[in-house]
Amino acid sequence: MGLHQNVMRESVSQLELREVVPVTPQMTCREAVDLMRRKRHGYVVVVDPQDRPIGMFTERVLVRLLLRGAAALEEPVSKHISPRAFIVRASEPIAKAIQMMRTHDWRFLCVVDDRGKAIGVTGQRGIMEYLAEHFPRQVKAQMIGSKLYMDQREGA
Amino acid sequence: MRRKRRSTPPAVFEDPLKDYSPPKYEDELERSLCEDRVDVIKTRPFTTIDADTPIEQALRTMAELDVACLLITERDHLVGIFSERDVLFRVAHQYEQIKGQPVREVMTGRPAAVYETDTPAKAINLMATGGFRHVPILNIEERVVGIIGPRRVTAYLQNLLTETAG
Repeated sequence: MGLHQNVMRESVSQLELREVVPVTPQMTCREAVDLMRRKRHGYVVVVDPQDRPIGMFTERVLVRLLLRGAAALEEPVSKHISPRAFIVRASEPIAKAIQMMRTHDWRFLCVVDDRGKAIGVTGQRGIMEYLAEHFPRQVKAQMIGSKLYMDQREGA
Repeated sequence: MRRKRRSTPPAVFEDPLKDYSPPKYEDELERSLCEDRVDVIKTRPFTTIDADTPIEQALRTMAELDVACLLITERDHLVGIFSERDVLFRVAHQYEQIKGQPVREVMTGRPAAVYETDTPAKAINLMATGGFRHVPILNIEERVVGIIGPRRVTAYLQNLLTETAG
């Protein structure tokens, strides 16, 4: 079956989701950055007491924050989160997630269950991994690190 | 007595490609992944800075151009890559102390790259299984001619999926 049918038919829950890494809106950016470094993720998800996502703080925001000086890191994360509509339901097709990221140029999407609770994070990288899984023969069999030409003549 | 020479069998022409069957692809996306050049994905613009540029200046360039990564060169040759991920892991916790240092101190050196004549499949393999978010594209002289990242691959993918659907 072609990839096109698959992305229309398969749901977001079939992607390999990353963990949520929830934080409260009051947490400072510095604490959030420490958590991101510890967890080795480029994001944290700001959630309300019911675990529903309010926004995401990502490494993209961090660059701009640092340029304002280290003091900016003491501000609460809720001041620097991405807009609300970054949420995709686990039951929606993968094609919808691709379209959302493409239209809004988002790197991450927060995946929620039917009650709106955050259950995972996916992103452009997740889509690429899906693509590689779909075409293992074409993509994964590629040799990594080969050069166009040899450094020396053969036998030289 | 002269021995009779053994006669050579008559030459039969055999088409060396008679058993060749060209690969069959399920759809346009699969064909493109395997047969196109990587620059079918948008590979420009890209931004290069010198390895001696101070970290603060590198961050400013990233913010002003709204890019997720910079290619670091030395005498026109690629020596590293500096991305938002490097900012998070190597810069953020000590920014004030190191912001004047050259970006070479915190960049990721010797990045995995592909050549412009490679296929999209090869670049995507580096990203999906190698874990590299950005892959520089080199020409045969080993000079940078472009870069692809997840954003550009998503765009490529969506364009082809829309074509298939249409």
